[in-house]
Amino acid sequence: MQLTDADPKDRRRLSLALATVGLLGVAGAVPAAADDAPRDWTFDTGLLFYKENGGRVQVIEPAVDATLDLGNDRTLSAGFVVDSLSGATPNGAAPAATPQTFTQPSGRGKTYTTAPGATPLDHTFEDTRFAGDLGYLFPLTGGSKLGVGLSGSKEYDFTSVGANAHYALDLNQKNTTLTAGAAFEYDQVDPVGNAPVPLSVMVDAEKTGGSQKSKNVKDLLLGLTQVLGPKGLLQLNYSLSLSNGYENDPYKILSVVDANAVPQYYVYEKRPGSRTKNALFAEYKRFVFGRDVVDLSYRYFTDSWGVRAHTASLAYRWNFTERKSLEPSLRFYSQRQADFFHSALYTGQDATVDYASADPRLGAFNAWTGGLGYRQILVNGHELSVHVEYYKQFSRAAGVPQQAAAALSQFNLAPDLAAVNITLGYRFNW
Amino acid sequence: MSGSRAIRVEPAASGGLAGRFEAMASPCEVLVDGADATEVARVASLVAAEVWRIEALWSRYLEGNVVDRINTAQGRAVTVDEETARFLDYAAHLYELSGGLFDVTSGVLRRVWTFDGSDRVPAQEAIDTVLPLVGWSQVSWRRPVLQMKPGMQIDFGGIGKEYAVDRACAIARQASAHPVLVNCGGDLAAGAPRRDGRPWLVGIDAHVPGQATPVIHLHRGGVATSGDAHRFLLKDGVRYPHILNPKSGWSVPGGPRAVTVAAPSCIEAGVLSTMAMLHGGEAAEFLAQMGADAQLVW
Repeated sequence: MQLTDADPKDRRRLSLALATVGLLGVAGAVPAAADDAPRDWTFDTGLLFYKENGGRVQVIEPAVDATLDLGNDRTLSAGFVVDSLSGATPNGAAPAATPQTFTQPSGRGKTYTTAPGATPLDHTFEDTRFAGDLGYLFPLTGGSKLGVGLSGSKEYDFTSVGANAHYALDLNQKNTTLTAGAAFEYDQVDPVGNAPVPLSVMVDAEKTGGSQKSKNVKDLLLGLTQVLGPKGLLQLNYSLSLSNGYENDPYKILSVVDANAVPQYYVYEKRPGSRTKNALFAEYKRFVFGRDVVDLSYRYFTDSWGVRAHTASLAYRWNFTERKSLEPSLRFYSQRQADFFHSALYTGQDATVDYASADPRLGAFNAWTGGLGYRQILVNGHELSVHVEYYKQFSRAAGVPQQAAAALSQFNLAPDLAAVNITLGYRFNW
Repeated sequence: MSGSRAIRVEPAASGGLAGRFEAMASPCEVLVDGADATEVARVASLVAAEVWRIEALWSRYLEGNVVDRINTAQGRAVTVDEETARFLDYAAHLYELSGGLFDVTSGVLRRVWTFDGSDRVPAQEAIDTVLPLVGWSQVSWRRPVLQMKPGMQIDFGGIGKEYAVDRACAIARQASAHPVLVNCGGDLAAGAPRRDGRPWLVGIDAHVPGQATPVIHLHRGGVATSGDAHRFLLKDGVRYPHILNPKSGWSVPGGPRAVTVAAPSCIEAGVLSTMAMLHGGEAAEFLAQMGADAQLVW
């Protein structure tokens, strides 16, 4: 509304306001309309529970996001997450016919032994991560908005700080939105018992690869959101990520085996000192039956390490009443392994390769995720949500050394993985 | 009185559901943000009950109610109920505040003014016959007793609907956790912004042909529109809107076609828009002096 310039404290206006309060009573008087700054807090609280099968990783993650509406399209937001991780994670070594004994990263003589034929898992994996972020979003001239933010996280052996900015420009009567974003992150890892020398043989002795390792990550995002008629919405994103520095996982190793697949020794992994990631994302949402939403998306990912990945998702939000919805979803993911992924190395190969890693996350696999979400707006206007996902990963053996392939084939080099993810959410205004 | 007492739950233009009913010769709508049909129907029934209650209480067309008893008292003193007394106090205050422009006794002027689009502007002599029956200053109001000269009448038409909207909105606000907007023929009130903090978007139909419907953003509070709509006389090129000055008995020419005001309450918005219309060509200046959040159509 157009505001007329005047002193609102005109005596008659005050007199009218007082008389109106007298008529309607304080309870009946609605707070001032001129207050375009509602200063309402919105809290998004959540509890995530993630559990992999076979006693592997388990995560409990409470999270809270608070957004303060400052009015005039300005918002201030803050988020805080605590991750509590525990369980076992593959250390990278291949299964063997005899028991394998490994020393914990702390190198203080604590060891764990893996049964014959089993995937070596480091059971000492336990960590708590604290992460927080702050953001401020405000309008610029000409229908554009700028958001700036800071983020940080801390684990026992890992520290990360970052800053980000994103810009959104509405065009064509808000039917088109262009976005551009940039982020910078500095990560520092202080490996337990120091960092190993990459590709060096794992021995039970002081590691000499240095105590503090760091990397820089620069991200760039370009996006286009286009309203397609009254019922459709298309979003296209391109993202580029440049990472430089210490890319290794200081706790991951590889088996070096002979022709009989007998481990001769173990070496620490080594990854290139930089990684360039590119991703293209397309999403189409359509409002159907005047009630529901269909959400289709596809993402293509490629990086300078040779990883290629496709993700296709389909979700259907069924708003079966005004306040309740169910959302089944299905996602397919397929990944080709990194160029330097090796299930194991053949004796002496560790001296000839430039890089090597047996981290299953860099391996080859397909994965299906089926999910079901339920969302309800409660009588008090708060929103409750429950989301359950089942994840099943089908791994493919890759990077198997030719000379030991026959002998290694007796083992499951690429075990499948299943995980359940449950998220509880509660959103309220205050 | 509106005949129909039906409440319908229907899709709202803005998405979601609206509870609709008829009252005070206007279509009324109740928006309950984020609620399902059951909750919309529950809140709408509370809102409708309150609006209908006030309509029955103060309608000029309902025999036996307090307004009818006042208007047919023929000089006798009438004792009124507490709510009507509060409303008369408010009317008395508005009379003072407006320097006599806002007058609940001005309704009798309609005996000589009929705004039917014709050129039948009454003669001064005709106006002079009813003008002595107009003027709050002639009324004896000693709470809870009202006494007027025979032939005088009161009419809460100017602000009764806005009062009903505010009352109904306050009731809905206490009865439901959802943000609620009550709209009776363009006079509306919202108890809170929508659930996601966004304002309500309200199209204001000023009934002015050829003018686009302005959309206003309302976080909370009231909005009211006064206008001459199609009710005016046209004689010798002069437009006489149905806005009558109770002091002169004459139509106030030269004013805006419509005034929409946003204020903390619907009734306050209604008083400001009505008073602005009574200021004729000075409407914008008046609103500026009052610091009103207003939109005018000339």
